[in-house]
Amino acid sequence: MPFFHKKRLFIFLIGFIILVALIGFSLRDRENPTSVEQFVKDAVGWTQGLVHAPIDYVTTVFDNIDDLQDTFHENQVLREKIAEYKGLFYDVQKLEEENAELRDLLEKANSIRSYIPIQASVISRSPEQWMEKVTINKGNQDGIKKNMAVITAKGMIGKIETRSKFTSTVKLLTGFDQFNRISATIAREDDSDIHGMIEGYNQTSEKLVFKIIESSDSDLKKGELVSSSGMGGLFPSGLPIGKVTDVKPDQYGLTRTAFVEPVADMYEIDHVIVVDREHDTGNQSGSGKDVTS
Amino acid sequence: MRRIVIPILLFLLLVLEGVALDLLPASLVRHEWQLVPHWVLIFLTLKIMLFDKEDTNISVIHGLIFGLLIDVVYTGILGVYMFSYGIVVYLLYGLSRLLHANVYTTILLSVIGVAVADMVINILFSASGITDLIWGQYLLYRMLPTVLANVFFLLVLYPLLAKWLEKWKAERFSKSSAYF
Repeated sequence: MPFFHKKRLFIFLIGFIILVALIGFSLRDRENPTSVEQFVKDAVGWTQGLVHAPIDYVTTVFDNIDDLQDTFHENQVLREKIAEYKGLFYDVQKLEEENAELRDLLEKANSIRSYIPIQASVISRSPEQWMEKVTINKGNQDGIKKNMAVITAKGMIGKIETRSKFTSTVKLLTGFDQFNRISATIAREDDSDIHGMIEGYNQTSEKLVFKIIESSDSDLKKGELVSSSGMGGLFPSGLPIGKVTDVKPDQYGLTRTAFVEPVADMYEIDHVIVVDREHDTGNQSGSGKDVTS
Repeated sequence: MRRIVIPILLFLLLVLEGVALDLLPASLVRHEWQLVPHWVLIFLTLKIMLFDKEDTNISVIHGLIFGLLIDVVYTGILGVYMFSYGIVVYLLYGLSRLLHANVYTTILLSVIGVAVADMVINILFSASGITDLIWGQYLLYRMLPTVLANVFFLLVLYPLLAKWLEKWKAERFSKSSAYF
């Protein structure tokens, strides 16, 4: 086949140059996608919203049928739990009141834990599975900013990667690499909290890699909960991330690495909460992030 | 009319690709396999085989445009799908001239198309440092399931669309209207 005619070869090479230029353009550390991209995303997102509703309905019907089988057993367990929760609820209320009073005394309005939740639902998932991304139906208009944490009822699932006016893209924890670290901590009863960094996701073991910064005496146990520490400045503290499954020393034996399994389900995500860390708005919004709005 | 219907269908397929993984049972998605829907490409294969004239390049342009849209909406790395879809559709043109149009040749072409497109996409992704490409794993866990899933989709789509496309083609020849 005479594929490499002069003209065809020429077009092919031009195409290749355009390709390289485009890839280079999109791999730059962009604050926001261009307005054309935003428009396309919104248009597709809008249509996806329409399509997603009936499909979601059908899939939930199937899920419900599945769930019915375990209902009886679950019901019993849940009844017991409700009894426990009643007691807890009063305790929490009392503690919250006390906490608020103490804060007033200190004249400190926002803690590192507090955030404003923005409810959103997932409208699509990237078919390209190298990219662990989902799209949600809230954007600029609803106050979403880059790098906000995204959680479900169970725990953290990722962070906002790009946003357009009415939709935004969430990078899932399973797609995190060394450029998306999370400052994390394991809370202990006494003051010996264990601090470290989540340094990305290990594809082969399917676990998050948690590097412990200071090598503390206390040993990690399996099943301990890792949560965000709020020290990174982007996420509030106390968002559950995952559970420790395995601990290994690193190659020099100085620090240890824990493998952490995310607590949230990364595959069946329907409704999410975008976490707007409150005191971010005061000091950091002046950095020119709102160019497009 | 038809001038609009085909791009609309392509757009609809593009939108549906985003919810495709929701439709599958979670146990399949959770697996190590990657099933990547290349539905736009499948539809273009059908169109090339059953509808297009010999001397037109409109499907290449469709491939380029909708490839770019996939890049914008789903991956954020511009150009990768655009380039690979463009090249593959052009390749399929060349092949479709050699073959008689029926179900089996359409399946054959779509297998070749999806396999080549997916391979080009992965080479480009690994060249730009987004993935680490290990050929053995790639072929087993991504290429094979992806090709099978897309051929399955073709088999669903073929009986639905083959008649329409052929009818439109016949109409076009009888009217000899200036179709794009």
